[in-house]
Amino acid sequence: MNSPLLTVSGLAKRYRRGGKTIAAVDDVSFAIEPGETLALAGPSGSGKSTIARLVLRLIEPDAGRIQFEGDDFLALSGSALRARRARLQMVFQDPLAAFNPRATVARLLDDPLRIHGIASRAERPRRIAALLERVGLNADLAPRAIHEISGGQRQRIAIARAIATNPSLIVLDEAVSALDVSVRGDILNLLLDLQAKERIAYLFISHDLGVVRAIAHRVVILDAGRIAESGDARAVIGAPQSAIGKALVMATPKLHRTTAS
Amino acid sequence: MSVVRRFLRTPEAIAGTIILAALFAMALSASLFFPGDPQAIAGPALLPPFQDWSLPLGTDRLGRDVLAELFHGARTSLAVGLAAAAAALVIGAIVGTLAGFAGGLVDEILMRTTDAFQTVPGFLLALAFVSVVGPSLSVVVMAIALGAWTGPARVARAEVLSIRERDYVAGARVIGMHPLEIAFREVLPNALPPVLALSSVIVAAAILTEAALSFLGLGDPNRVTWGGMIAEGRTVLRTAPFLSIIPGVTLVLTVLGVYLAGEGVVETTAVRRSLS
Repeated sequence: MNSPLLTVSGLAKRYRRGGKTIAAVDDVSFAIEPGETLALAGPSGSGKSTIARLVLRLIEPDAGRIQFEGDDFLALSGSALRARRARLQMVFQDPLAAFNPRATVARLLDDPLRIHGIASRAERPRRIAALLERVGLNADLAPRAIHEISGGQRQRIAIARAIATNPSLIVLDEAVSALDVSVRGDILNLLLDLQAKERIAYLFISHDLGVVRAIAHRVVILDAGRIAESGDARAVIGAPQSAIGKALVMATPKLHRTTAS
Repeated sequence: MSVVRRFLRTPEAIAGTIILAALFAMALSASLFFPGDPQAIAGPALLPPFQDWSLPLGTDRLGRDVLAELFHGARTSLAVGLAAAAAALVIGAIVGTLAGFAGGLVDEILMRTTDAFQTVPGFLLALAFVSVVGPSLSVVVMAIALGAWTGPARVARAEVLSIRERDYVAGARVIGMHPLEIAFREVLPNALPPVLALSSVIVAAAILTEAALSFLGLGDPNRVTWGGMIAEGRTVLRTAPFLSIIPGVTLVLTVLGVYLAGEGVVETTAVRRSLS
């Protein structure tokens, strides 16, 4: 067996607020195998999004190690870090806030192709059309402004932008939470489909255990910045051991009924 | 089209637009109506206005056509005002964006420099700069911009500080965009609207500063300026007050026009922003 795609060990991030130090993330360790979906679940303020931002080096940890594709990810900086970012992408929760309000669909998809030198200027319009098709959108959406298209379409654009650089891991930070239920299922299916075709691993961050059970192989349940429990997604959600795990399952009405029966 | 119509709904905007349009027409037609050198002697000295219809606004102390000078002066005022404001906005936007986006030491250095410039009165700065470098149109433009970029820099920095925390900036980092490209392509265009709202005030101030410099004899000597005309008329203020009053009133109207039109633009964009 190869080494994991991403190994996070002893990760910690503290914030100082008014003289008090708050541990947003405290000694968190987990690993993701290639092509696997690991879910990070937990209530608000449990440190899920902080972990996502730490893994993506949008913020720097106070302690811990991050190994990505065999290298020490925290040791990279400058252009080496920017080049490596092609392999590690992210989809944000709010598909409107995640895009420059002035951008068009074509420009958003053009950026990663241009920055990482994936396609020549002449070739890029075709690559953009191909990307749109891969996420189930019509290619004539390209010249539209980002605020002119629907939320579901926007999240598909976000996924298209993330897969443009052929990443091995995509961090999905509440990627379907802001979408309405009918669109949510479509996006989850798209994600599963992409994973099956291209063996992309997902770090799936959600507070919704129903969605987690539908998409994740394994789950890590967080509470106040620490890992409360972890394991196979169905096993953990079916019979949570920790207090916070039980509370989260209780908070999911449909799941509660199925586990109670 | 509807933007234009909404812009023209406010009376201030209409008044401002009319004044500005007249001013631009004067500047553009100056060499058409008055093809010769406006500083050439055209008739008897100190001819009062409305006496001789070939010289409708009369002549000054040296017998130069006041109307021709007024038209050519519009050129200088507009050119200097617009160029100085543009330079101030560009410098301010760049400094503010770099300071706000980079943070830390870069922010400290840039903002303390801005403080230093802001504590010196802009006019004094312009005066010192022109008297050291020597009066010419481009020097005057630079001198005025030197005192006017601090406002835009502060506004741009404040906007950038809020914009840099947005998700789309994080998204740009995730796809590996270079920080400078993020600053100038993702952040700056979205920080611009409040900075541009300052432009009318800056243009108006620049026109006044230019007039004041010319009044003190620090304008470009090869160009007619309204400030210079007022200074010329000052020596004969008792006998021929029109020589100071005419360019003075023009100057007031110009500044008023720029300001009113600017207010109209801000009003229009504010409505559009709240609608979207």
